[in-house]
Amino acid sequence: MGSTAVITATNLVKRYGTLEVVKGINFSVPAGQCFGLLGPNGAGKSTTMRMIMGLSEITSGELEVFGETATDMSREVKAKIGLVPQESNLDPDITVRENLVAFGRYFALSKPVIDQRSKKLLDFMQLSDKEFAPVNALSGGMKRRLTIARALIGDPEMVILDEPTTGLDPQARVLIWKQLMELKRDGRTLLLTTHYMDEAQRLCDQIVVIDNGMILDQGTPDELIARHVKGFVFEVQKPNLAASPDDRWEQEDIGDSVLYFVDDTAEFIVDLPQDAIYLHRPANLEDVFLRLTGRKLREN
Amino acid sequence: MKMPESVYVLAVYNRQYRVFRKLLGSSLVSNVANPILFLFAFGFGMGSFIDTMSGMDYLTFVVAGMIGYSAAFAASFETSIGAFTRYFLQKNWDAILSTPVTLAELMMGEILWASVKALFSAVCVLIVGWIWGGVPTSFEPLIALPIVFLGSVCFACAGLVATAYAKGYEFFAYFFTFWITPMFVFCGVFFDIGRFPDFIQYLAWGFPMTHLVAAIRPLTAGTEVDVAATLLHVGYIIVFSAAAFWVAHRKLRQRLYD
Repeated sequence: MGSTAVITATNLVKRYGTLEVVKGINFSVPAGQCFGLLGPNGAGKSTTMRMIMGLSEITSGELEVFGETATDMSREVKAKIGLVPQESNLDPDITVRENLVAFGRYFALSKPVIDQRSKKLLDFMQLSDKEFAPVNALSGGMKRRLTIARALIGDPEMVILDEPTTGLDPQARVLIWKQLMELKRDGRTLLLTTHYMDEAQRLCDQIVVIDNGMILDQGTPDELIARHVKGFVFEVQKPNLAASPDDRWEQEDIGDSVLYFVDDTAEFIVDLPQDAIYLHRPANLEDVFLRLTGRKLREN
Repeated sequence: MKMPESVYVLAVYNRQYRVFRKLLGSSLVSNVANPILFLFAFGFGMGSFIDTMSGMDYLTFVVAGMIGYSAAFAASFETSIGAFTRYFLQKNWDAILSTPVTLAELMMGEILWASVKALFSAVCVLIVGWIWGGVPTSFEPLIALPIVFLGSVCFACAGLVATAYAKGYEFFAYFFTFWITPMFVFCGVFFDIGRFPDFIQYLAWGFPMTHLVAAIRPLTAGTEVDVAATLLHVGYIIVFSAAAFWVAHRKLRQRLYD
């Protein structure tokens, strides 16, 4: 069975005045997969997400969600999407359970359906003992879990998660990862943005790396690693670097040390001086990300 | 644009109602006790200096005004500072707009709840006024209630205009100073507006409050009702509401969608 695309972006452009934040990107999100949208702050991820939710006008190009134009989605299509925003917008005036009930009503669900689903979702996100707690009494991790539960109340075919584990402790992250994998096993499509490359590598089937409003590359995590950083990384401290001329090994100077991206580990080690100090590890998505988007800080 | 559907409007309304039940104490104090204090102060304090106003007992005069004012205050507060908090601070509106609920439905739910709450305070004032002898008849005041509800819808829409344009809480100082306070002092709540200079009277008729109070006073006071005038007042309130809703919707669309 060939998988159909849930989201298709064709030459998608978004301009605010003269500032172009999304510069003609093309991608498609296949049904039932976890699709990662990665990029530094200000790359255009959130704008793209907002356009997918129909909350932001499209300047030019096309953006289809479940076969409908994103800015003009029917209620039926809107109801197929669950959103987990980056910034918590849970309702602080009501309890954990009431947040789910209120959201269920925004999806026009009947009371028995809401009751049954909210019970199941509280259990799924391990919040059952907090059912009657006010939202303000929850920890950051619990709030995030509740936000995910809330996004699932409409039984969505696609869940959009904007940095779902940012700021959480390792225990909370592991639980969220586990439950997201389970959502994928249920056949739901996940669209994820994250700054954590280990998270993307663990969860995503397909990844798009975006920066300055453009797509730098896309593929599976393994494809991206193979394409940009080979199999292994040697982080060698200066000044005792590899003996061969610079063009023999793919490398990147990162200040105190140099990163070498190599396929054949044994061959490289021979090339290192006896007293070299180095760290040897498999290449990962973080290496790809940094190679593609550079190491400069983005906040300013 | 999608046609608004009641199930989504009621979903927004229902959320407000749930919160209201929790915060019942403070809601009752500000929306019911407040106007009742005014009613006592003016009805009895001022009333002992003033024999009649517009040909009726001063307490009777002021009950109609306080009904209008309590509705205006409750509805305005709910859709200005209340709605702004939900929209701006708590980001509730962002959450709601990620569901099948549309902006128009969200606004209608806010307005419906604000108006029901306003009607509730108005009824409390009416009951207190009646117990105190400020409402001579018993059936006509009930006809006033649907008009009070329409007036509340109007105030709620105007409150949403303020929310749509507010950049922060400071903005509501203007809203209360140039919108709520004039309605309190110039629109026939405590005085017959005929006592003001002409230009203030013209200004006063621009405020929906003047029309609301003018429409309900004969009903609560049991004086003769001019049907044509009442319809005109109601018509003005409806047109004002529609215009305010349109302005608020346009501005909120700009702000919430980019």
